Amino acid sequence: MKRIWWLLLTTLVLAAVVLSACSSGQATPAPQQESQQQTQQEQATQPPQEETFTFGMLLVGPYNDHGWSQAHYEAGQYVEQKLGAKMLYVDKVNPADRPGTTPEQLAEDLVSKGAKLIIFNSDDMKDAALAFAQAHPDIYVIHASGDNAWKDGKDYKDIPNFSNVMGKMIYGKMIAGCAAAMTTETGQIGYLGPLINDETRRLASSAYLGAKYCWQHYRQKDPADLKFKVTWIGFWFNIPGVTSDPTQVADDFFNSGYDVVLSGIDTTEALVEAKKFADQGKKVYAVPYDFKEACQEAPDVCLGVPYFNWGPLYMKLIQDAKDGKWQSTFIWAPPDWKDINNPDTSAIGFEMGPALSDEASDAVTNFIDELANGLNLWVGPLKLQDGTLYLKDGEAATDQQIWYLPQLLEGMEGQSVPQQ
Amino acid sequence: MKPRWENLAFATAAVFVALAFTSLVLVTAGASPFEAYWYMLKGSLGSWSKISDVLVAWVPLLLATAGLLITFAAGLWNIGVEGQIVLGGIFTTWVLRLLQDSTLSPAFILILAIAAGALGGALWAALAGVLKVFGGVNEIFGGLGLDFVAVALTLWLIFGPWKRPGIGSMSGTEPFPKELWLPTIPGSRLSLWALFIGLVSIAIVYFLLSGTYFGLKLKAVGKNPRAAYLLGIPTTRYLMMAFVLSGLFAGLAGAVQVTAVYHRLIPAISSGYGWLGLMVSMLINFQPAWAAPVTFFFAALNIGSIQLPIVLKLDSSLSGVLQGALVLSFLLMGGVRQRWLKKHQQEASDD
Amino acid sequence: MEIELRHIHKYFGPVHANDDITLTIPSGSIQGLLGENGAGKSTLMKILSGYLRPDAGEIRINGSPIEMHSPADAIRFGIGMLHQDPMDFPPMRVLDNFMVGYPEGLLLPREEARQALLDLSAQFGFSLDPDAYVESLTVGERQQLEIVRLLWLGAQVLIFDEPTTGISAQQKEKLFAALHRLADEGKTIIFVTHKLEEVEILCDQVAVLRAGKLVGEAKPPYDLDALVEMMFGKVVTKGERVSAPLGKPVLQLKNLAVESHRIRIAGVNLEVREGEVIGLAGMEGSGQRQLLRACAGLIRPVEGEIWVDGHNLTGKPYHDFMRHGVAYVPAARLEEGLVPNLTLLEHMILADEQRGLIIDRQAALDLTKERIKTFNIRGRPHSTIESLSGGNQQRALLALLRPGLRLLLMEHPTRGLDMESAIWVWQTLKRRCREEKTAIFFMSSDLEEILHYSDRILVFFSGQVSEPIPATETDIEQLGQLIGGRGFNTPEEATP
Ligand SMILES: Nc1ncnc2c1ncn2[C@@H]1O[C@H](COP(=O)(O)OP(=O)(O)OP(=O)(O)O)[C@@H](O)[C@H]1O
Ligand SMILES: [Mg+2]
Repeated sequence: MKRIWWLLLTTLVLAAVVLSACSSGQATPAPQQESQQQTQQEQATQPPQEETFTFGMLLVGPYNDHGWSQAHYEAGQYVEQKLGAKMLYVDKVNPADRPGTTPEQLAEDLVSKGAKLIIFNSDDMKDAALAFAQAHPDIYVIHASGDNAWKDGKDYKDIPNFSNVMGKMIYGKMIAGCAAAMTTETGQIGYLGPLINDETRRLASSAYLGAKYCWQHYRQKDPADLKFKVTWIGFWFNIPGVTSDPTQVADDFFNSGYDVVLSGIDTTEALVEAKKFADQGKKVYAVPYDFKEACQEAPDVCLGVPYFNWGPLYMKLIQDAKDGKWQSTFIWAPPDWKDINNPDTSAIGFEMGPALSDEASDAVTNFIDELANGLNLWVGPLKLQDGTLYLKDGEAATDQQIWYLPQLLEGMEGQSVPQQ
Repeated sequence: MKPRWENLAFATAAVFVALAFTSLVLVTAGASPFEAYWYMLKGSLGSWSKISDVLVAWVPLLLATAGLLITFAAGLWNIGVEGQIVLGGIFTTWVLRLLQDSTLSPAFILILAIAAGALGGALWAALAGVLKVFGGVNEIFGGLGLDFVAVALTLWLIFGPWKRPGIGSMSGTEPFPKELWLPTIPGSRLSLWALFIGLVSIAIVYFLLSGTYFGLKLKAVGKNPRAAYLLGIPTTRYLMMAFVLSGLFAGLAGAVQVTAVYHRLIPAISSGYGWLGLMVSMLINFQPAWAAPVTFFFAALNIGSIQLPIVLKLDSSLSGVLQGALVLSFLLMGGVRQRWLKKHQQEASDD
Repeated sequence: MEIELRHIHKYFGPVHANDDITLTIPSGSIQGLLGENGAGKSTLMKILSGYLRPDAGEIRINGSPIEMHSPADAIRFGIGMLHQDPMDFPPMRVLDNFMVGYPEGLLLPREEARQALLDLSAQFGFSLDPDAYVESLTVGERQQLEIVRLLWLGAQVLIFDEPTTGISAQQKEKLFAALHRLADEGKTIIFVTHKLEEVEILCDQVAVLRAGKLVGEAKPPYDLDALVEMMFGKVVTKGERVSAPLGKPVLQLKNLAVESHRIRIAGVNLEVREGEVIGLAGMEGSGQRQLLRACAGLIRPVEGEIWVDGHNLTGKPYHDFMRHGVAYVPAARLEEGLVPNLTLLEHMILADEQRGLIIDRQAALDLTKERIKTFNIRGRPHSTIESLSGGNQQRALLALLRPGLRLLLMEHPTRGLDMESAIWVWQTLKRRCREEKTAIFFMSSDLEEILHYSDRILVFFSGQVSEPIPATETDIEQLGQLIGGRGFNTPEEATP
């Protein structure tokens, strides 16, 4: 039983020797595809006339997760198609799924296969993205979410080959809030929040602003009669024993008079529970998040879904990189107000759900038009949850003020800062 | 001379069975097995930088396996090894956090932190040991429970008291400053210090189990606790020591993960090396001499398999299939070999 | 069924354990099998019962050759074997063990099985509690369980590998009666033993093995001396009774009471002196084992005190007793005495004094070789313990005892040893008594052994303990009656 390991090891070592010999020499005893690949690579390394641009993408989740990662993956495919570029990707880039590897290491692997630009698609990869960008000044780096390339941001780092992109989901959330306000009969809207940070506060508050506006202006009701409660579960998805159980949280909402629940988390518990209650004869609804087709899981109770469309954003940055016009930028892109669901132009969209009544959907459409025409809900007078002044009367919030929102807004129920 | 060839034949057969099975899976997934193996080989040993990446992954796996060999010698299934790695990581992080702003020299802080990691793993293992030895809780169940608690504890720390400024995130705690990383060979991620810890550890375990009274007594306790007791061995103490030592090496694995690989505490700090170590231990039939090469091979599979999704659009968990298939087919061949030996006993020699 | 073994060969590495054995066993007879330790008896029987495959040769039943690959096959041919070391499942209940191997269907007829178990044990006078756990049974009781199990499975050929080592004279009589009855019913019995008197009263013919070869066969009336010579190649005699001079007290029991879930013994007062040998007689399970274990600290007494060499060790663990020079030799060799999978060498290292942290392999090897030689163990330093024959395992067990012991507590010290070895073992034990002033406290189911080697005898009857009887003042007859309960007070009178 023992000797075999020497044999195995010797074979491995021999193979390694042969391999390195191959990569330096020309004779390649590998299968054909391999040699094709190799020639492609060699072409890529020598400056050719018209090369196909290769970019790499690191996805935090599975490429087909019906959520965040899939949206990025599809955007990559979109760029491949539109630009004739070539995408290399690794999915499930997280230490649980790929033990013993780091995003930097994987990014380097992609570079060794010819990638000139690497997209890191998660906030979790922030450190890796920065470290990688600094270690590889010749490779362009895009970090989706994050603010390190934002000159006016709090964490600005001057790295010429590093850019941030993000869609202005605040608009998606406002529209979602409006759909909820137009639908609720009890005047109580629940928000199923993930963990508490700048981003999630900003999104929950946007949903509240949208809801309040439509409640007040379209339904002609007193904002004081609108209850808007945020319950944070503690993470983007359920981790038994660590987070609150989102199923339980959704149930509690529905059981205590909240008839619409907006989801801010990655999974669809709100929708699933709404369906369960609806099947028992209750009139309740939900709004999922992230993924364009999320409503399909329970169309009867789905009011619509705000989603990201990364394609046009990546398209622009990759085009720039390819043309040699790259500049380190921070992009926080609003929707294309001409048609927020235009896949070629709009970074943020809202897909209306089958459960949205005709009346309500007219109102939502109207609301979108108003936004398109310059309606700004982030305008004073607005107070923070604890009553301190956030925006003076008539004062419009700056991007920084919105990005780094310190608390929830007055009128919202729920925790503003995580307890220690 | 004969049994040598016989063993070789059976081992080769086992490898072939595993490869055949994995190939079948690959073909079913619509890929060429040869290509897949080729890329995995290239992705793990194809260049010096790949080899150094393999070595980075090798050290913690080797440490976890070294620890497990001790509990296995005592007849214990230390399923709690995962949790012990995690606690090693937590303790290391804790000490680094406490001291990172102090004026102590980074080298001293690192030594303290790594020692704390070993201590953390040992304590967590001792807990499983107490449950087993004094509480009568089977170490498999106790260990599973403690694994779960350890992971929950990490998550709580990362999203609670140790969260990054502003945002708790799956990416773990704030990375430590570069001075508190185990120094690496320039241009690679490999730390010779980590490598040194790993090699010394496996050497110690090898020696402990093969050359000392302690190892032999542990073995006796593992194989027949009642007889061991009558032979004068304090069985409970030895069982506890097995747990503690095993946890110590697992804790070191966690410490290496923090100081040499991730440079912070992350939710999946154990990287599943505990489970992998259990597999390796079974594969090598609990023989310490084989731990180093086989864990290297497994680490190479882990690193090499990254090529599968990148190049072939295959799921990299296929390397797990190969690892699992290897273990199973070796166990299978072990059984076949026994039956065969029974038939041909005159060819077998005793030593 | 008539069994024919033809030209059977079996090798274990270099050991030729069965060397061209040809033997015919007529239907309905009781065949005896004799031979010194390691002669190859168990090997031959394992081949016949499907546990081992012969390297050459064939087995015929009623004239036609058969192929067996497993014990299950053998049972299908009607061959069942009772092993030298019981092969049962200790953590399970008696009834579950009884039903293991029941072939038909998945649904086990529990009630039927329970009834069968009770009926069969009643037939043989065994008292087996279907709901007790097997680990709580004595070696003898576990053998009983195996016997009824095999009968229930419908074995036509029953192989008994040294079945009488663990059971008392009365149980033995019942067993023998049953064996006669089974033979009369046409069943074929093979009976492996070291005891000539058993062959004499039981066997219709006997075969003798030596060093793997069949060296002779005999029919009654037997010439016992000739048989002994066949077995050992020489004449063997037991020698005279010897006693060592007695010294100061080593072990003192003061009003000791010990309780286990099945039995309670109380009020034991005894003083054992240096060089003294005390034999414990009684039916299996009458409390001897409990008393022995209590004297080693393996069971905590419920009352009274145990003093060793003037130290009160009551309630202390076994390891404290060990430190005072007490050693315990259990009957269940492979379960309590030895560590399966470890080699002889490793056993010697474990049993020997620890010197430093690192094992000196060379010194250990030399020691092992020396012990192998003095204890005449058929095996090599690197043989695993379970590859030794039963008798050789027993020798190994005795070889592990350190020199200079104060008190030696032994369950069945010569269990499974052949005559010559048993004599030799007692010679060495007696030498310990004489030269090292060791006191010996032992139990045995062999009354002759007790009578021949003890200075004083304690007789146990369902938890009651007799006064010590000087061995010279009693005989087998009297002991037999005491063991059966005659001469003991009835329980009512016994309670104070
Ligand atoms: N599994 C094994 N591996 C190696 N050698 C073995 C094995 N089993 C038995 N032997 C050897 O074969 C020989 C015969 O053993 P066997 O058990 O048949 O003897 P036996 O006649 O039953 O002796 P005893 O009276 O002591 O029980 C011994 O030398 C023993 O060491
Ligand atoms: Mg035998």
